[in-house]
Amino acid sequence: MRIMLLLLIAAVVVMPLSNVEAQKAKSIDELAKMFDSSQCKSCHAEIYAQWENSHHARSLMGVQDGLMMTPLAKKGSTPFSPDDPKKATLKTFPCFKCHLPQAVAHAEDSFAVEYAEALLAGDKAKVGKLKITCIVCHNEKAIIHKLSDGYPEKGVLYGSKDIASHPDATFKKVKKSQIMDHAIMCGQCHGLGPNLEFENPVQCATLYGSYEHNYLSKGGQQQCQECHMQKINGKADHLIAPNWNDLEGTKKLLQNAIAMDVQTVGYEWLRKGGDLRPMIVVNTKINQNAGHRIPDG
Amino acid sequence: MTAKAADGKEVFKTERHYHPQATNCKDNKMLYGAQVKTQYIRDTSLQPFETKAESFEIPLPEGVRAVDVTVSLTYEINKPDNKIEIFKVTRKVALDR
Repeated sequence: MRIMLLLLIAAVVVMPLSNVEAQKAKSIDELAKMFDSSQCKSCHAEIYAQWENSHHARSLMGVQDGLMMTPLAKKGSTPFSPDDPKKATLKTFPCFKCHLPQAVAHAEDSFAVEYAEALLAGDKAKVGKLKITCIVCHNEKAIIHKLSDGYPEKGVLYGSKDIASHPDATFKKVKKSQIMDHAIMCGQCHGLGPNLEFENPVQCATLYGSYEHNYLSKGGQQQCQECHMQKINGKADHLIAPNWNDLEGTKKLLQNAIAMDVQTVGYEWLRKGGDLRPMIVVNTKINQNAGHRIPDG
Repeated sequence: MTAKAADGKEVFKTERHYHPQATNCKDNKMLYGAQVKTQYIRDTSLQPFETKAESFEIPLPEGVRAVDVTVSLTYEINKPDNKIEIFKVTRKVALDR
């Protein structure tokens, strides 16, 4: 009886916390706070600094802070655009599927209204708060076999190995992910082709489709992570290049993947007797050994 | 790719564009923008382990016996003026030995 009473008391204490966790974010600040990963920085400073420079840390900002989703908020610009930003819903922004996956499951339509208004106001500081944080990949998107393996557990991070005791107030355990070092981890967002589940189709990245159908088929066997997350000081580089804002760094990446050969000849081409025509011929050959088409999207 | 005569005059210029090209599948106008693209209609991008070979024939104007050929491979990000020059090769090509 005493045990039952203790369980009852425990349930009463725990229930309000569960309810809070089940609540959805109503605003940009609420969603940003819900997935804030700044606590990771103190122990994982190098990885955190890499991530801060990555496009994952500015997933709604586009290339060079272009706020690429603005047309979705602008009346008449796309089939998704509402007449008034106050009528925006999560469905207004199909791009959340990959550019802010946590919004799909953990935000309310009021969040989409604030986001639409921020886009139209060009409020980069506000939009910039929304990121694909550590928690998104290492918890929210870490399990793809949800029927067989279950949904990602609260308070658990998923990584390359099991850590029974992880020194963090919220995430006290790390479990080894079955997919974290495989291409399909990236493929969740980096695209197979048209996204036909929306009321109007959208097509963004198709890199994973290219990898599946036109890289593996030619004998390529590397995972995305082997090129885009090469180890630095023994740990995967979380810049996950390319960083399109870093033109010099991107140039080096492209030069590593692509080769160009140029051959030339000058001669006089004989069209017919007595009709020599001055001619230059330039032959070019371009090869690439990346795991996908270049460019994509 | 360009070819210029000794006096700097351009005698030949051409471009090749390597990239997937999409429409909304409701008409045949190419579109940029994930929110409106629906399907590729053509794909000229560089594919893994494949060679993209081109041969450019440049008939020279009268009096021109040599040109400076420049081949530049660039990567455009979002818009044509935001680009990275990956490789640039310049060769002097002459008819006379």
